[in-house]
Amino acid sequence: MQMKTEVLIVGGGATGVGIARDLSLRGIPSLLIEKGDFTSGASGRNHGLLHSGARYAVSDPEAATECISENRILKQIAPHCLEETGGLFVSLPEDGLEFRDLFLTSCEKVDIPATLLSRDEALNLEPELNPDFLSAVEVPDGSIDPFSLVVENARDAEKHGARFLLHTEVRSIQVDKGKILGVRAKDLLQGEEHIIDTRYLINATGAWANQFLNLAGLRLDMALSKGSMIITNQRITQRVINRCRRPSDGDILVPNGLVSILGTTSIHLDDVENFEVTRSEVSLLIKEISRMVPVIKGTRFIRTYAGIRPLVLPEEKEDDRAISRGFALIDHEKRDGLKNLITVTGGKLMTYRLMAEKTSDLLCQKMGIQASCSTHRTPLSGKGKPFELKERLREIRPALGKGAEIICDCEIVEREELEESIKKGDLKDLQDILHRTRLAKGTCQGGFCIYRLLGVLHDLKMSRGDPNSILKGFLEERWKGIRPILWGTTLKEEELIESIYKGIFNLEP
Amino acid sequence: MHYDLIIIGLGLSGLMAAKKAVEMGKKTLIIGKGTGSLCLFSNTIDVLGNLPEGMKMANGLPLWIKDHPEHPYSRLDWEKIEQALSSFRSIFQSQYPFQLVDHENCLIPTGAGTYRPAYLIPSTMIAGTSLKHGKVLIVGFKGFKDFYADYTAGQLKCRGIVIPLSEFQGQEMIATAIARLMERESFREALGREVKKQMDGESRIGFPALLGIRDPLSVKTDLEETIGVEVFEIPILPPSIPGMRIFRHFKEWLIQRGVTFLLGHSVLKADLNGKRCESIEVSHPPLSQSYSADRFILATGRFIGGGLKADEEKIFEPLFNLPVLQPGSRDHWFANSFFNGHPIHQAGILTDSSFRPVDQKGEQLLDNVWIAGSILAGHDCIQEKSREGIEISTGYWAAKHALGT
Repeated sequence: MQMKTEVLIVGGGATGVGIARDLSLRGIPSLLIEKGDFTSGASGRNHGLLHSGARYAVSDPEAATECISENRILKQIAPHCLEETGGLFVSLPEDGLEFRDLFLTSCEKVDIPATLLSRDEALNLEPELNPDFLSAVEVPDGSIDPFSLVVENARDAEKHGARFLLHTEVRSIQVDKGKILGVRAKDLLQGEEHIIDTRYLINATGAWANQFLNLAGLRLDMALSKGSMIITNQRITQRVINRCRRPSDGDILVPNGLVSILGTTSIHLDDVENFEVTRSEVSLLIKEISRMVPVIKGTRFIRTYAGIRPLVLPEEKEDDRAISRGFALIDHEKRDGLKNLITVTGGKLMTYRLMAEKTSDLLCQKMGIQASCSTHRTPLSGKGKPFELKERLREIRPALGKGAEIICDCEIVEREELEESIKKGDLKDLQDILHRTRLAKGTCQGGFCIYRLLGVLHDLKMSRGDPNSILKGFLEERWKGIRPILWGTTLKEEELIESIYKGIFNLEP
Repeated sequence: MHYDLIIIGLGLSGLMAAKKAVEMGKKTLIIGKGTGSLCLFSNTIDVLGNLPEGMKMANGLPLWIKDHPEHPYSRLDWEKIEQALSSFRSIFQSQYPFQLVDHENCLIPTGAGTYRPAYLIPSTMIAGTSLKHGKVLIVGFKGFKDFYADYTAGQLKCRGIVIPLSEFQGQEMIATAIARLMERESFREALGREVKKQMDGESRIGFPALLGIRDPLSVKTDLEETIGVEVFEIPILPPSIPGMRIFRHFKEWLIQRGVTFLLGHSVLKADLNGKRCESIEVSHPPLSQSYSADRFILATGRFIGGGLKADEEKIFEPLFNLPVLQPGSRDHWFANSFFNGHPIHQAGILTDSSFRPVDQKGEQLLDNVWIAGSILAGHDCIQEKSREGIEISTGYWAAKHALGT
């Protein structure tokens, strides 16, 4: 298909979608294309932390200031996508109190509320804390649901004229006389080729930024760093628990709905596509975090996952084109003489809105348009929807009494609800469905419900492709996340899943 | 209470051991927490499903034994395995016979629309064995989440229909509830009539394996009479109704012959005196009680059954603390692909040729304890499709060795 747009944004993570919304509120139409689903990259693979900024107060006051400011904004514009859990910074005997004192004064300097709690107060709030702790400081950390946040941004952007093309990958970029004319892209599910003409191109591909620029004959030096996380099968603490020391591996436990997430590691990577969580990372995370919260040692884990932090190397960051130290915003007109290309990468989920604002400002300047940002004061449309699972459960409970067909027993997803979301959304593959329902997120990690989902799709005559290949693909993906944590009860569960699919159903690779 | 033999574990291997013991006139106690994998996964009796298609079991199994000296089957031979299988079949002959097709594995359809090899096939599934000939109709039940007729039929290239069951208004439809309904004559007659109405020249009808627990043959026969064509069952997600039939019938048979059954009780610990086990302590909340015996059989299964446990670093046997053959270091427990054979499945208890536990050097560890079933080292019963064969044959022969000494 031949398409035309004023602005083409590539990348459906928080940054790209945030830009689409920001521009749409300024009255500038855009088209966003993404090779997978929303949040397929780092936006969907982090620990879902609503930073207070306290983590950076000592090491990077500028980033801390950005975080606390965005923290306040997000609580106003997207309360339905986050939970204001609060957080603690805990010092253990081996940490001493020197860093804690520096931490308190640093927080004060950047205006992050940090309250030193008494021992009893802290244990009262979080009874699972290691009783040997020396000190606990309370800060306004929270948790955030990145997928909801991005989908809400997309929905609002669409309402204001933005368009989205998912599962579509840019294959080449047409450059002529220092100017980008457009791109050729391919629909990865249908196979259709698109030629898209655009006046401006924004590269918001995160960890793929360099690969993307290669298509235009440019390059960007980046360091890719893998961060691994583990999900528990129940919520361990009510608040975010941070280790009060200089940032290092295994220093945070983030509650998220009914589960908690252990994070994280930092390992240099060369390949942006193929990476897995290793056994040694799992051991390290458990060892470190159980120092703060001892019950972690005996806790049942349900999955591991990893994401890539796209870090731009210092020579790029210190360049005058970098507006903030937290992320890189590159005007390729100045850098490479390519008039209508902007790259934005680095940064973190927490500052996606700010990154979108700065990128849109730069674009407006290049376009010669006077239009200012309003995303910091315009709430997202779904505001008012319940976020907490408890409330969602309350919503579906009346249906349970009627003998509803429960497709996922772990997360209580009933068939009617599932069929509704399948029918209403423009869902193209299994990942799309899993992103938009709670299927495969519970204890059995889809061991039972994916088979059932394929059955329901068949009943609805909406099944495409060979269901058993889809099932096998899913089981292989699931295996990657589960293999590093197989012992205890999880191993028992896995014997069950293997006995079903390799045993009863005789599925073979 | 003192027994000749106490069997720990209520799965197929424990039940077979109890059968052998009672036939030898021994006072026997069988005890367990649950029924393990039997009522979850056992549908057919698999002996060695991974043999090349068309190979006779009597030829293939001896070859397998030769290539796998550490396998539980290598403690036996084909003749002994066959003897145990006949012993198993004999007690089901009248109500729920298991059939053998050409002395080799044959393929039966599954709930994912795949085919799986099986050796002994319950008569309720036998009409599914040659599915590729003739027109077939697959029947599912509306609101039953563990079987999807369209999905299965699509894979098997035949037609699927879904029938609503009005009996279930207001309650969740689970496998055991449907299986019990099937035992009502009026229900299956109505069901048969509905299926007949929707037929389109099919010569066989496949149902999910839910055709009653007590008397599946009558359910099948009645449905066939009403519909007018052959009916067969298709194995589905756990729980396994066919496995429950085996358990239920086996239990009645053993109780009638004087075996003491303790279902739902955990064994807390074993009391050892040197290399002899004197008694076991059993939890009867809020009390615990001790049971003594001359001999013991450990048939507690693998991870699901609780016979083996794993922490972050190693695999162990919790009751007798027997040494467990470890599958290399923790990093080597699992293969990269889900579908490959995982080294962890080879873990288990090492025994001598009479199923007495030994250490790595072959030294006998206990004088009056024998090991049976999937807890044994050296097999991957999921990949090999040998679960029931291993359980039946090692349960039978462990008891024979235990009581013959």
